[in-house]
Amino acid sequence: MSLLRRIQMLLHRKRFDSELEEEMRLHMDLREEEQRFAGATPEEARRQSRRDFGNPTVLRERSHAAWGWGWLESLVQDIHYALRSMTHAKALTLMALLSLSLGIGANVAIFSFLDALVLRSLPVTKPAELVQFGKGDEAGVTGDYGDTTLYSYPFFREFRKSNTVFSSVAAVFSFGSEIHGTLDHSPSMQKLTTDTVSGTFFSTLGVEPAMGRFFRDEEDRVEGKFPVAVVSYAFWQSAFQGTPDILNHTVKLADTTFNIIGVAPPGFFGIEVGHAPDFWVPMAMMQSLPSHHKGYADGFFQSNYIFGRLKPGVTRAQAEAETNLLYQHIVRSFPNADLNAYNLSHLQNAHVQLTDLTTGRSFLRSTFSDPLKILMGVAALVLLITCANIANLLLARATTRTHEFAVRQAFGAQRLRLIRQLLTESLLLSVAGAVLGVVLALAADRLLLRMISGGPDANLLPLDISLNLRLLSFTLFATIGTAVLFGLVPALRASRVAVNEGLKESRRSNSNSRSPLSKGLVIAQIALSLVLSVASVLFLRTLVNLTRVDTGFPRNGVMLVDIDSSVLGMKGEDPRMVAMFQEIEQRAGALPQVRAASFAAFTFAQGSWNGTLNVPGMPFNEKANVKHNVIGNSYFNVMQMPLLAGRAFGPQDNAASNKVVILSESVARDYFPPGVNPIGRHIYYGKDPNPEKRVEVIGIVRDVKFGSLDEPRQYIDYYPNPQHPSGYGTLVVRYDGNFATMSAAVQNTIHSVNRNLVIDHVTTLDRVIEGTMVNQRLMAQLSTTFGLLAVLLSAVGIYGLMSYLVGQRTGEIGIRMALGASHTGVRWMVMREITMLVVSGIAAGIVLTLLGGQLVRNMLYGIAPSEPMSLAVAIVSLTTIALAAGYVPARRASRVNPMQALRYE
Amino acid sequence: MKHNEIPPGSLTLLILRTLSRHGTLHGYEIAESILQASDNVLEVEEGSLYPALQKMLVNNWVKAEWGVTKGNRRARYYQLTAAGRKQLAAESSNFERVYSAIARVLQTA
Repeated sequence: MSLLRRIQMLLHRKRFDSELEEEMRLHMDLREEEQRFAGATPEEARRQSRRDFGNPTVLRERSHAAWGWGWLESLVQDIHYALRSMTHAKALTLMALLSLSLGIGANVAIFSFLDALVLRSLPVTKPAELVQFGKGDEAGVTGDYGDTTLYSYPFFREFRKSNTVFSSVAAVFSFGSEIHGTLDHSPSMQKLTTDTVSGTFFSTLGVEPAMGRFFRDEEDRVEGKFPVAVVSYAFWQSAFQGTPDILNHTVKLADTTFNIIGVAPPGFFGIEVGHAPDFWVPMAMMQSLPSHHKGYADGFFQSNYIFGRLKPGVTRAQAEAETNLLYQHIVRSFPNADLNAYNLSHLQNAHVQLTDLTTGRSFLRSTFSDPLKILMGVAALVLLITCANIANLLLARATTRTHEFAVRQAFGAQRLRLIRQLLTESLLLSVAGAVLGVVLALAADRLLLRMISGGPDANLLPLDISLNLRLLSFTLFATIGTAVLFGLVPALRASRVAVNEGLKESRRSNSNSRSPLSKGLVIAQIALSLVLSVASVLFLRTLVNLTRVDTGFPRNGVMLVDIDSSVLGMKGEDPRMVAMFQEIEQRAGALPQVRAASFAAFTFAQGSWNGTLNVPGMPFNEKANVKHNVIGNSYFNVMQMPLLAGRAFGPQDNAASNKVVILSESVARDYFPPGVNPIGRHIYYGKDPNPEKRVEVIGIVRDVKFGSLDEPRQYIDYYPNPQHPSGYGTLVVRYDGNFATMSAAVQNTIHSVNRNLVIDHVTTLDRVIEGTMVNQRLMAQLSTTFGLLAVLLSAVGIYGLMSYLVGQRTGEIGIRMALGASHTGVRWMVMREITMLVVSGIAAGIVLTLLGGQLVRNMLYGIAPSEPMSLAVAIVSLTTIALAAGYVPARRASRVNPMQALRYE
Repeated sequence: MKHNEIPPGSLTLLILRTLSRHGTLHGYEIAESILQASDNVLEVEEGSLYPALQKMLVNNWVKAEWGVTKGNRRARYYQLTAAGRKQLAAESSNFERVYSAIARVLQTA
């Protein structure tokens, strides 16, 4: 309560003061009256009353102090004083603010991503109790025995029934969320990100619906019977304008109309950071979705992630032990389990690892976690350099203010008070810098999100990088930390003045003319700048190396058109589908300015279908995975991939004809005995010599890059579309001329064949390739930015320090000149000092660089961290800039007019 | 005339006591009654009353209201609160204890 009164007093300071004034005046007047009454002269009465009363100013101070706001009062005073002294040194203040805002801004920006991607817990109930089966590092469907990341739905149900360690478990379909459907009775299709989940999904995460309800148990127990969907809060707001009668709306996916039964809470996205579904539907409806998966009841249709909430008091190790017992038991008990020796050995070696799910799972995290941590370190270094700089500026300033402090100490100012006041100045600087920095960071975050999402035409990733409490506390911590870092030493230095010495020294002090501390700071700056410069050179060269990688096909002039044919509701093997796709290929290929067009299940970096190959007469290698691609007849023409032997696919390779395959050169070389021509040989895809999977090799093509630019050699083989009609993924078109007009022409052609086909996305091959370099580009651009910033700051630091030192030595230089030293001699004298600084800094920097090199080894491509060329480039450029920064004060020193300098003394 | 300083900390006690005896007073009246009651022995820098009164306001030992003096001037009138009465009791007994202890020491000397 007293706090409330105190705050009131604070808010009504003016009234408080005037009332106190009035009260005290009344007192004195009454006293004066009394004195006059007792016979004093008016003059004397007045004096007497005033003297007895005491000093009103002091009394007012003490009355104020009674309210306990003394610290605030003096803080306000300090701030006033700091503002005054900052406006006196405009250049310094501006310089400090600019570098601080850049330094703090960089840190806040990087931290907000680190927080969103790596550090932040899922927005669900007690996320620390959640664990995931396996590492969640694969997605798709597999029939392999002993896979401990992807699980079948029957497995999940069995596990849920028999386990005793989880209070609740849930499953999520691992792939295929991007589908098309229609809202209510809209005539047009739109992309709807839809996750397929077990009925226990929401209850396991412990979230409550914002509206309506979540799934009931039976809605997930009977296949295909309950077409219900939960909509995300964000999608309810954007697509349905937050209509309150959302529960009367529907969404049509494939041929099934789903009733919306509930709205997820705001901010809820499930368990995958960077993936925010619009809808959730129960697993029992998987066959009604456009992809029509039939695996609901198949114990080996392993396609789900499983996660669970540990019961209170159960440790992860206990849960893992039981999970593995159940795993072995459940998998073997499926009626369709094929327990041959091979499968059993895989099963026996399988160990389910329970991994922490506190922060959710994220494909982005594995990609960006390391780069972000490195960038965080880099940003921190930039901030350190900034601190060194400002500390140096303040040190220089402290010596010029010696006189002022001596005077203040002579008048009885406490040293502690002086230090506090100087620290207030520092804090004020860094707070102002931080405010600017946060503004900068918010702008930079947008840019970074663009970069991370994969460039200007990509969809922005749904990452929450807005300001939050954790971010602000980080900022606060950084702010105070920097203020103390750069402010404390100068403050101690400045306030340590012998009074009479300071007063004698009219203009400057020689107490630290050698200034080892300042020099040390500059050396440290140069060292850190070198580290950052080398890093930026390395990352830039990595980027250049990647852009020069031989992909095995020309990157330009290829258009990729993603088509969603599942909306037609026909099966892939339907002859009408096969015919339709061949017609699209022909018509598109016949367009003017189109050289060739073909379908492909997979284009560069768009995933893969992996498996083993069984070459009769050769030992089976289960470790060697081949990436299968299913293509149209003109695919090699479009990609301009040279055929090295045999023939390409043609119209004769249809559904009824002999099954054929084309191998990449590496497969031909490594899977066959030396000297054997693979052409004409029969092989099996998969482990077993299953006649259904027997194919004849008809050709060999050149190796290409398949998934990423920095991957090692890949084994790839190709199957003709009509013989494996599963994935008509992308129409690939080699074209001349303008992208926009050609893209329109191709889309019109597709719709002229079937106007119901949904064209999902049109892009170009080189854009996709660019997109795979996001990470390296991010590292290169940001580290270069930071590196330049560091070098610039160091240059300013050198310039500042040398100017100051030269200024200090004006008299000495004047005497030297008067005694006959030449301009050159003086210039050299100053430059020698700078060179010493730079050389020491670079020497220290080389050591640091070599120590830190291992940290970035994995992020480089085609270059080693200790590569001498990069080091040399960085050293030369840094030295040049540093010496240039020092040359200006050196030249100024040599221009000193001896007469003036001596008179000046 | 020889003045003695008020022992530190006892000013609050004197103000509390004065207010409890006279009910409602403004600052000058408080100073007057302390002076009278101490027969001019205790030298108060009269102004010290005001910081002390402020401290008591913060602690809610007294409450203040503006009123008008006989001479028709605005003055702030102070009055004890319940908490102030408790404080007075506590400080008085404390003072008594210390005072009598000192007296005992002096007697045995």
